[in-house]
Amino acid sequence: MPSAKPQILISGALVWAAAEVKQLEEHYEILVLDSPDRATFVKELTTGKYSNISAIYRHNSSAGAVGFYDEEIINALPSSLKYLCHNGAGYDQIDIAACTAKGIKVSNTPSAVDDATATVGMYLIISALRQFYKAEITARAGKWDQGIAPAHDPEHKTLGIVGMGGIGRALAKRALGFDMKVIYHNRNPVDPSLLAGFPEGAITYISTLDELLSTSDVVSLNLPLNANTRGFFGKKQFNTMKKGSVLVNTARGGVVDEEALLDALESGQLSSAGLDVFPNEPEINPRLLANDKLTLLPHQGTCTEESQHKMEALALKNIESALTTGDLLTPVWEQKGKL
Amino acid sequence: MSALKQVLICGKVHFATEELAALSSKLDILTLDSPDRKSFFEACKPDGKYGQVQAIYHNGLPNVGGFDKEFVDALPASLKIVAHHGAGYDPIDVAACSARGIQISNTPGAVDHGTATVALFLIISALRQFWNAQLRAHEGKFKQGTSPAVQNDPENKVLGIVGMGGIGRALAKRALGFDMKIIYHNRNPVDPSLLAEFPANSVTYCKTLDELLEQADVVSLHVPLNDKTNKFFGRAQFNKMKKGSCLVNTARGGVVDEDALLEALENGQLSSAGLDVFPNEPEINPKLLANDRLTLLPHMGTETLESRLGMESVVLKNIEQGLETGLVVNTIPEQKGQFSKH
Repeated sequence: MPSAKPQILISGALVWAAAEVKQLEEHYEILVLDSPDRATFVKELTTGKYSNISAIYRHNSSAGAVGFYDEEIINALPSSLKYLCHNGAGYDQIDIAACTAKGIKVSNTPSAVDDATATVGMYLIISALRQFYKAEITARAGKWDQGIAPAHDPEHKTLGIVGMGGIGRALAKRALGFDMKVIYHNRNPVDPSLLAGFPEGAITYISTLDELLSTSDVVSLNLPLNANTRGFFGKKQFNTMKKGSVLVNTARGGVVDEEALLDALESGQLSSAGLDVFPNEPEINPRLLANDKLTLLPHQGTCTEESQHKMEALALKNIESALTTGDLLTPVWEQKGKL
Repeated sequence: MSALKQVLICGKVHFATEELAALSSKLDILTLDSPDRKSFFEACKPDGKYGQVQAIYHNGLPNVGGFDKEFVDALPASLKIVAHHGAGYDPIDVAACSARGIQISNTPGAVDHGTATVALFLIISALRQFWNAQLRAHEGKFKQGTSPAVQNDPENKVLGIVGMGGIGRALAKRALGFDMKIIYHNRNPVDPSLLAEFPANSVTYCKTLDELLEQADVVSLHVPLNDKTNKFFGRAQFNKMKKGSCLVNTARGGVVDEDALLEALENGQLSSAGLDVFPNEPEINPKLLANDRLTLLPHMGTETLESRLGMESVVLKNIEQGLETGLVVNTIPEQKGQFSKH
């Protein structure tokens, strides 16, 4: 009997990369997750139709039916499952430690998300400073510009980027076109080769978060959500910011202490904010919705045809690379040197 | 009787109060307070309170109507300068002023970055469909009602800039940060020295408007409103554009044929538009208001403290220099060569 093709499980939305999937079908059997709930999924993984899979393509939308890939799900994965290839730069819905313990290699989709997320970041910076949400609702209500006071230009303001990975650097590039001064904080200064594309002296490293906060007119959060960063941006950080400054968050809602954010907005410590992410999506705190000085987007970071396709393709390429060579293209950093 | 030259402030100086205070030691500053047009015309007569005014600071005409020929002809015989607050001066009857030997100045440069930033915002919002996304968020629907199928990255799209003056060039600079490809049309190619800041070959001239329209994914308008440009962008232009492209207008509503725009949106020739200006402000056509795929702003171009301060300073500088030397700083193109220093 000929050996069966290795099996790939598609766990969540895969909309644009149909051609890439078709190519994979030549060598692999493609299964599509259809479990209506977690219990069914666990059963299929342990003794049912998913008990022989080699790789998983995972998208956050699968959480609706089966929840996060926490320790319970990871432990239920069959021993045949070697590779978990996530569609997304942020992979906070996956328990990496549990994967590492079971010898499961995990990849994400960095760089494919950079441009689109940075563009959302720049849009939110402009909108918060220029107060364009309030302007548009006023115009659309038939009131033209009634009640709208002159706002602020982004030009010559200081943008403080917290987390200078691919998205932070893509944001810096955009902000420089508006003559913003760009400073950044990162756990370590970024390798100069990664900043080679910027004019000399255009980007300044700030060694402490506090120093960045006290000198920025706009603070943009561009770091992952994990155990170290959950809720790290709170009362102390808001109090260190310049009075009347702006917060932009395109990272994860969970990195910000939302009560502290609301307090800072109420007191005027923050004049405005631009938010693409929230602690408990799809919910948005009604106190944020009620504030027309804010610009709020429903996690639009990479919501374009082009970027969605790029991300899906990269996740699938990780699977193909892993199944043919044993190596992922974009493994998550937490597993470096461990598997 | 005042020995100092007189300046009439029409509208208000909000931010450049220090510059105004400095000027008021050299000039007699009056404020327009006529309750209606008739009273204003009376006040402009030789023995009226504005009868000796030599310069006007023009930022609105509360209660006295439009800056048309009748208005210009009623202005005092002493009037030499109309210093306009704004880059676009379409409300002013230029021909009537020129016929009377009245110089007009505007405020180019000071408006560039504010307006270009609005244009870039509208480009992103139209391509990414962010107004619709905000609506869904505010309705409690989060992402429901949004779809990547109709949302596009600006990256690597072609932006066609129609009118490559200061604002057009400021927009090109911003758009390059998003990896957009820039093409532009202008009555003439722009002097290379003005494009020196851009990387080689990053900004391409199109000899004809049609050539630009055929290639652009987004068309952004940056032309002044005058007799030549009134409704110049109409059905023929929309039909030449790529199907599913976007229009952004931060220039003047009057340069676009609004019926043709509505048609193009309805039949999908345009997938979206971003508009900061409208033909009959403060009215916005209800058909535009009903369309969630658009991004609409109430002429926010330079509505910032920083831009307003910059513009007001330029207006005052034009008045100061114009009265001192006989020639304003920012002569409008229509009057080029007509006036010279004392």
